[in-house]
Amino acid sequence: MIALLLLGLYSWFSGQIQVAELFTIRRASNLKRFLTQDAMPKPLRNLAEGESGFAALMQWSSDLWNDFGLLALTTTFWISILAMVLAGAYAMLTSPLGARTLMHEDPFVGAQRGLPWRIASASVRGMAIFLRAIPEYIWAFLLISMLGPSAWPAVLALAIHNAGIMSRLGADTIENLPPQSLRALRLLGGTRSQVVIGGVFSMVLPRFLLFFFYRFETCVREATILGMLGVFSLGYWVDDSRSRGRYDEMLYLIALGALLVLLADLVSWFARSLVRDAGTSTNTKFKDPAESSRGD
Amino acid sequence: MRRSLVLISIGLLGFIGYWSLGLELGQILPRGQGFQIARDFLSAAFTPALDYEAEFVPAGSPSFLWVIGNGFQRTVIFAGAALSLALILGLPLAVLASGLVPTSIRIPTRLFIAGMRSVHELLWAVVFLAAFGLNSAGAIIAIAIPYAGTLAKVFSEMLDEAPQRSYQALIGAGASRSQAFFGALLPTAGPDMAAYAFYRFECALRSSAVLGFFGYPTLGYYLRQSFENLHYREVWTCLYAILFAVLILETWSGKLRRRLVA
Repeated sequence: MIALLLLGLYSWFSGQIQVAELFTIRRASNLKRFLTQDAMPKPLRNLAEGESGFAALMQWSSDLWNDFGLLALTTTFWISILAMVLAGAYAMLTSPLGARTLMHEDPFVGAQRGLPWRIASASVRGMAIFLRAIPEYIWAFLLISMLGPSAWPAVLALAIHNAGIMSRLGADTIENLPPQSLRALRLLGGTRSQVVIGGVFSMVLPRFLLFFFYRFETCVREATILGMLGVFSLGYWVDDSRSRGRYDEMLYLIALGALLVLLADLVSWFARSLVRDAGTSTNTKFKDPAESSRGD
Repeated sequence: MRRSLVLISIGLLGFIGYWSLGLELGQILPRGQGFQIARDFLSAAFTPALDYEAEFVPAGSPSFLWVIGNGFQRTVIFAGAALSLALILGLPLAVLASGLVPTSIRIPTRLFIAGMRSVHELLWAVVFLAAFGLNSAGAIIAIAIPYAGTLAKVFSEMLDEAPQRSYQALIGAGASRSQAFFGALLPTAGPDMAAYAFYRFECALRSSAVLGFFGYPTLGYYLRQSFENLHYREVWTCLYAILFAVLILETWSGKLRRRLVA
């Protein structure tokens, strides 16, 4: 913890961060121009004295909404949904393979764990770390030149990163399950796959769904920016208006994106409370195995 | 029953998404020129570059590893500065958004926090680029705003979920609310909060690497440059550098968590 604090302090005094330079006259005039002209919605820029720009402003925003606002929002939304479904499917298949309690000659009964089993679970977990370590934006950047222009690079980039996170969280959750009932299933003669399908799966599902919706929230947030690389999500139109110097449109789109993210937060919160209510009989107190499900 | 219904509807939503984005399964595999790029890129995975791949390197330019090392250092510095600023902003906001304050303060703070979080750090960066021009402090603030919001949200949940007994005991014994907060509640929720701060540092590293795509001198800058020059082995060096940073943090925070939480 102290090391982290020292690192924070060092960063500010490393000379790499131009705090003073932010307050020079050139920056101030940049800011002034931005606020008074560029960022001002176009119909409000040259208003005569006493004239109300409200009607013109409404017209302006409804035009933008019809031109690309609505399209930007729906593509962003569907990209994140599809990405999360793919990520969830990958995680469902791989989490049992990453759980050290299951990857065992004799799960929940034997004590020793042989080398082949160790290697198997370690490689599944290693894969999850690699998928997660590379940011979505970089995955998308790499995928675009390989896959060409369609929504796939964005979908796959989000799916890859979140698959890494969900796979690890799923494996951790399985490891943290109370072993008594699973051991009982094994001792009654259940095979490994019977234990997984009949026991582990139903015990893990509520928590898994919680992670799913937590990650969905951040997925929408990430999906807004991937478009800046040239695929169709909100970021594409943000970047487009930026390169045309239409900063008023850019800010309008960013505000739309913020609304979408807030909406996704709300949907996720609602879905999570549904899952919690349905799952409280088996899980009295929910505890994250890792923090990575919460927040970005 | 209810859960399988949720699963099925999630799957259905995925199909609707697939259909409304106009996707085709065939497009998922690289073809033609894309296939060439994919093959060259993947075959470079096991031989990351240790030196420039370009045939001609201007005399006097620093060695490749030195440049990447510098980029790595700046990535860490940007992340460290952004996270420390986010912590300074986020901690007070977390208290103001928790159950410790009356509803009339809590609700507006939560709305404010939601607003900070809802705009992605790269979009903040784009806005600051337009408003100020290229300035590293602008990049730090761009990362710090949404991160402060997320920290405040999660910290406030942790404060609310922490066992209240010792806090109530101190209040009952005559401590003031701030004494009880610093004496009991903060130490109770502290380990969880510290572990989460570590996780956010990992995220900040990724964000600061990506900011390089916008011209800031972090790892993303070199990654993009190398990729566009088709120097795939150099790209892998950058990717492994990011992976290395995340691995270090993962082991470090794992150790810390076992010591603090367990």
